[in-house]
Amino acid sequence: MILIANFLAIAIVLNLIESAFALSPIPGAKLGFANVISLIILYVYSFKDSSALTILRVILVGVLSGRLLGPTFYMSLSGAVFSIIAMGAFKKLNFFSIVGVSVIGSIFHVFGQIGAGIFVIGSTAIIYWMPVMLLLSIPAGVITGLIAKKFVALWDVWHHDVT
Amino acid sequence: MIKDNKKATKNQRDLFLIIVLLLVAGGFFLFFQVFRTVEDASYAHVYYGPSSEPIVTIDFIKQEVNIINNQKVPNSYDQNYPIIDEAQKTITLLGDYEVNGRRQIIVIKYDFGHKTVQVIQEQSPNNICSKEGVSNGKPLICLPNRVRIEFESGANDPDFTV
Repeated sequence: MILIANFLAIAIVLNLIESAFALSPIPGAKLGFANVISLIILYVYSFKDSSALTILRVILVGVLSGRLLGPTFYMSLSGAVFSIIAMGAFKKLNFFSIVGVSVIGSIFHVFGQIGAGIFVIGSTAIIYWMPVMLLLSIPAGVITGLIAKKFVALWDVWHHDVT
Repeated sequence: MIKDNKKATKNQRDLFLIIVLLLVAGGFFLFFQVFRTVEDASYAHVYYGPSSEPIVTIDFIKQEVNIINNQKVPNSYDQNYPIIDEAQKTITLLGDYEVNGRRQIIVIKYDFGHKTVQVIQEQSPNNICSKEGVSNGKPLICLPNRVRIEFESGANDPDFTV
């Protein structure tokens, strides 16, 4: 529990740092480094812990950045929920490694964001952003997946040392 | 040994997945670039919020700007929006993005000759819609301000009623 709380804090800091540096040309479409933490928790703990952490992260970042209940907040929330559910499902399928699951998570993040965006702005015009977001999200998913993979390998080593 | 084999196949599947997704997304991207922009627009509609009724319609054929709806603005803002400046060829709306608790204006410039629209002033974290520059068919979306501009090509669109 304490560990998860620490991870949550790390995820929030990562998220805030990322929003301070506009790396991507589209709002809400960040590289998603905070997603590394969701992915790690999904693999070393459980789907339940990971989804709780992800949703709390989005809400707390909304509070801290003053965008709670604003238009971009709903997009973040919906993106996060879509991505965590997709990652949970594909992890269970056990067909791809952590990198593949991460990529699936990031494309579903885009779908979730666009879906919420359509409601926020009341128009499907936002779909014009989708191709760019998808193209950006795939390498982002690979990077987060590789980072999480390294971490999970380390975690296994630590775990073996303890027992 | 079996475990290692399984890992290798999973990595192969990952690679396959990534390549397929990149191709699909790339195709999508090209498709949108080539086919999905309105050519030679007749109208540009400026919307606020999730409404499907425009606030302002720019008619490139008749070369006029029509206010369809007034923006509902709280009493603490001593202006009525939209403001249309025919000399400067600008439309000013009140966006949703707040700086120090005040909603900020968003200024749109139109050009009848080139049939283009551009967002020239706007406050938001990343300034996506003003960085988009001049558009002659691609929708301009200012998400934090909940203002969007969409183009329409046909002269008699059945969905469009004034």
